[in-house]
Amino acid sequence: MSFRPFTSESYSESDRLEAWRDVLSAVGLAPSAGSVLHTGHATASRRTAEGIVLARFAAGAQAVSPLSQAADDMPIVLLPIEDGVTLRTGTGHQIVSTGHLLLLPRKGDWSVAFPRDMRAVILSVTSEAFHGRKVGKPVFDEVRVLAPGGFTEVFSRTLESAARNIETLSDTEWTAVAQSLADLLPTFIRSPTTDTGGTATQAAILHRLCQVIERKLDDPDLTPARVAEAEGISERYLQKLFEGSGSSFTHYLRERRLQRTSAELSNPAEAHHSISEIAYRNGFNDSAHFSRAFRHRFGLSPREFRQQEIERATASAAAAGQRGWPQQALAQLRSHHPLANARKSVAPPQPDLASPCAEGQHLHHHLSVESDRVHWGYFSRSLAPQAEINSGDTITIETLTQHASDDPARMIAGDAGAESVFHWTRDAKNVDRRGAGPMEASVYGRGAGEGFGVHICTGPVAVRDAQPGDVLEVRILDIVPRPSRNPDFEGQVFGSSVAAWWGYHYNELLAEPKQREAVTIYEIFAGGEGDRAESYARALYSYRWEPQTDPFGVVHQTYDYPGVPIAPDTVKRRHNVLDGIRIPLRPHFGVIAVAPRELDFVDSIPPSYFGGNLDNWRLGKGSTVYLPVSVPGALLSVGDPHATQGDGELGGTAIECSMTGTFQLILHKKADLAGRVFADLTYPLIETETDWVLTGFSHPNYLAEFGAKGQSEVYATSSLDLAMKDAFRKMRRFLMNIKGLTEDEAIALMSAAVDFGVTQVVDGNWGVHAILSKRLFEDVRI
Amino acid sequence: MKHFTLPVSPASVHWGYFSKKVSPALTLRSGDRATIETLTHHANDDYERMIANDPGAESVFHWTREHKAVVRRGAGPTEGPFIRGSGEGVGVHLLTGPVAVENAEPGDVLEVRILDVRPRPSCHACHAGRCFGSNASANWGFHYHDLIEEPKPREVITIFELDTSGEPFAKAVYNYVWTPQTDPDGIVHPTIDYPGVRVDHTTIKKRENILTNVKVPARLHFGTMGLAPSESDFVSSIPPSYTGGNIDDWRIGKGARMYYPVAVPGAFFSVGDPHAAQGDSELGGTAIETSLTGDFEFILHKHRDLGGTPLEGLTHPLLETDKAWSVYGFTYPNYLAELGADAQTEIANHSSLDRAMRDAFRKLRRFLMTVHGLSEDEAISLMSVGADFGVTQVVDANWGVHGTLRKNIFRCD
Repeated sequence: MSFRPFTSESYSESDRLEAWRDVLSAVGLAPSAGSVLHTGHATASRRTAEGIVLARFAAGAQAVSPLSQAADDMPIVLLPIEDGVTLRTGTGHQIVSTGHLLLLPRKGDWSVAFPRDMRAVILSVTSEAFHGRKVGKPVFDEVRVLAPGGFTEVFSRTLESAARNIETLSDTEWTAVAQSLADLLPTFIRSPTTDTGGTATQAAILHRLCQVIERKLDDPDLTPARVAEAEGISERYLQKLFEGSGSSFTHYLRERRLQRTSAELSNPAEAHHSISEIAYRNGFNDSAHFSRAFRHRFGLSPREFRQQEIERATASAAAAGQRGWPQQALAQLRSHHPLANARKSVAPPQPDLASPCAEGQHLHHHLSVESDRVHWGYFSRSLAPQAEINSGDTITIETLTQHASDDPARMIAGDAGAESVFHWTRDAKNVDRRGAGPMEASVYGRGAGEGFGVHICTGPVAVRDAQPGDVLEVRILDIVPRPSRNPDFEGQVFGSSVAAWWGYHYNELLAEPKQREAVTIYEIFAGGEGDRAESYARALYSYRWEPQTDPFGVVHQTYDYPGVPIAPDTVKRRHNVLDGIRIPLRPHFGVIAVAPRELDFVDSIPPSYFGGNLDNWRLGKGSTVYLPVSVPGALLSVGDPHATQGDGELGGTAIECSMTGTFQLILHKKADLAGRVFADLTYPLIETETDWVLTGFSHPNYLAEFGAKGQSEVYATSSLDLAMKDAFRKMRRFLMNIKGLTEDEAIALMSAAVDFGVTQVVDGNWGVHAILSKRLFEDVRI
Repeated sequence: MKHFTLPVSPASVHWGYFSKKVSPALTLRSGDRATIETLTHHANDDYERMIANDPGAESVFHWTREHKAVVRRGAGPTEGPFIRGSGEGVGVHLLTGPVAVENAEPGDVLEVRILDVRPRPSCHACHAGRCFGSNASANWGFHYHDLIEEPKPREVITIFELDTSGEPFAKAVYNYVWTPQTDPDGIVHPTIDYPGVRVDHTTIKKRENILTNVKVPARLHFGTMGLAPSESDFVSSIPPSYTGGNIDDWRIGKGARMYYPVAVPGAFFSVGDPHAAQGDSELGGTAIETSLTGDFEFILHKHRDLGGTPLEGLTHPLLETDKAWSVYGFTYPNYLAELGADAQTEIANHSSLDRAMRDAFRKLRRFLMTVHGLSEDEAISLMSVGADFGVTQVVDANWGVHGTLRKNIFRCD
């Protein structure tokens, strides 16, 4: 197979640079001398045919230059994606924006710097690709930058779509695609940039006039005279040209403005702009006139039109069954102001209000749960810490399940902490932001944060002196459930499990009605003596989700926004469910995270290198998770408490049950990591009494891999096959680097003794874990 | 109840395939027991330790220019000229059987209880009484196209010794990189592409002191156990399917009960591919492949008696242990029926855990709804909070995900 995936996750820190050099050299590139060497996360997909290599790169900031020994004379083609690059040549620097194509000679003094992330498609063609055919004798010794449009555009788009589908093409298809890319390439070299023109036909002039109009749509005073002037023709001639095309200047201009406005009104990325703003920037400076013209043209007022488009987008997103940001709304994500809309209180409560009490030389802290101490549905590097503690200190953290609102009487009422977090009336919503989405809810209209992320996270807790590159060891000393404080249920413990629209089963239900969501409320029983020592859960009742109107009046057709209180009279409770079945408990926290470095607001649903929604029941009492610190202070958050969960978390949730955990946090400084089990850690590593559990994901670092598209793309492309590959690579690395085995030993051992299991198939970034028993390494005498 | 013994010999084994056409090596009745010997098809990776002086093994592996004791190895062509050999290695496992069960008919379910499993000791003077196995990191392994050390790609054999003096465990003895091997018929095998080719130890470089300080807890089990499918006369032993076969789940060991839907009259049960230990996924392509002998009990459940039992509506293999029930999901639950005439080769192009997970989910849902009488909503809630899905194997073409339900969930009082 000619396809070769590469990921830095396979390699130890010391080997990563060399491995990355190999990847670059396959397309004739090398790291630039004197530039910062890239040793962080990197992925590449490469596919080769004779003389042709097509590669898609996603890596950190770096600069590349030609691999000096390469002598072939076809240029390297580089297409930057998402962000521009800085091109340095003998004559100076130049910023090249996305969409431009760079033709780079194989030799010479140039470098291309990726100031943010390296995200590019690269095509390398050597003369072997032409099998001796004459393609002209290209002389190519200087860098060329080609603007989009015309042939360049055709070529770039072909290149990009080929790169996007690089894994899925069959060998035959790939060979054909590769060959046609190679065949297009000499065209650049033979025909120089200048347009030789020919006769300037009327059509060509008209085309140019339209382009001028397109650029000046925002100008309310655009007149035929000014357009004509810009193209150096008379106004009369201009009018004549338009008449010749069966239109008039005025009609054409209005039509273009209306079309542009309607496109912007239906674009979720524009949703934070008001209608009049959009009208104004398209040249309508009289909103009454605009409304009339719009209704005349589209049969709806601009407001109705926009509402209709939002509903359509919502419906199609539900049909696609994808959580998180829809692709087309991501532009909004970039325009987020850091922290402007984060926790309600800009000045957070005094850190560590709960007075620490001494315990040996280490302090014990307590973080109770209330609306100011939680962040709901997202992780953020910008949140002010709720407590700042020293390495070695212990801390008790209260957490709430976001599903407490499935039965508010049992799980919220009478509990001051829970009431404070869930408080939501027509006038007040204590925790407004729920999710990483826009505060104006301009994508789907579900509510602030849009439910792009659902977990109530308590924290963050800052650890003194923690710096990126360090490792935070989180020991789970104890987990206790949070009993009901409602006098009617005093002391009883309840949880909820929702078979939700994001569940694995949702699109293939057997019984009617199809596409239903079912909530099951469980009661949790503590173990007794002797044979009855095991704690367990029993189902109490269940109900089907019915559309719920939240206190702000938004109707939730599905379980699409967390914390919407269920009005008991809107659902039909069914008792005697799961009769005779009791489920042994596995209390754990679904979410344990340090803040990710990439963005200010990160959806709490997909787990990744920073931990997060790991949903692995092995994270229970007595176990430890090691997390790579990415931001100063580490910023640990805990939430999503589960009474029990199966491997897979098939229906979308566990038995979600509020619980309180006691943790000890130990900071391991980067300088002291060598030789430790968690040296070179780029993912959450779990240690239990008996096992090492390594966490594999479909996309080990989806934020770095997909860049700005990450929070949408990760939901679209999850797969157990990818997660299995990641788990395999991580376990190989662990056995080789931490346990000192050769690759051959590591693979033999993985076959014979490492157990791979399905962690979850419902959290966007699907997980497969690899379990290595500690027993394997106990002393052997034979 | 009778107790039979089925030793290995060229007459009691078939190599690399399941078949409804092979004459039974043994016929018994429901309720009878049998002690069945099995050999690992990797024994020739170290002839001295695993074959020499063992009359049963020597008779089966016997292959000289003049005589090859078991000619056909695999479901492929048996008329030359051959690329790899008769049967072309389309299927590799040495299977003992078939065992025919009187009165078994399609639609019935055969229950096979594994009463005991024992390793087969070496008969060579230098190693007498000790037990050995071989693990191949092979070309069909999950890792093969994703190696990081040179030479790429490569196949590696690791020989293990099994220690049963206390809590049994396996310990690596040495390993070597596969070198091209010439079989007695003159065909060169550049990779591990045909079973039972003796590795000439003068062509390999043994590396000792490997996996020092590592001991692998033993999980004695049979990787391949199942019934003859009805679709084809000769079916490769590699992809597992609806009548079982190469499931490669280490839980199928002592104390396990397997249930298989009967597809042909007589059921035609065969067993082989014995393993000393394996992890969930069998990542490198094989387990610690070790010859074992098992004691089995066979119970036939007639179709008319299945209603209201856990076997009602069973169309796939099902495992019961003391603690749990497991169903087996595959990329294609019945690849022979689904992929048509070229199924046996085509299946290798479609391997996917995602499809296997989907299948395991559906099978477990059916089990909960049919057998335990749950509504669909109850079944899904229970699967989410009480069922564990794991990776069975990613190396047998038809990849597997198992769904496991602990029995104590139903122990309510």
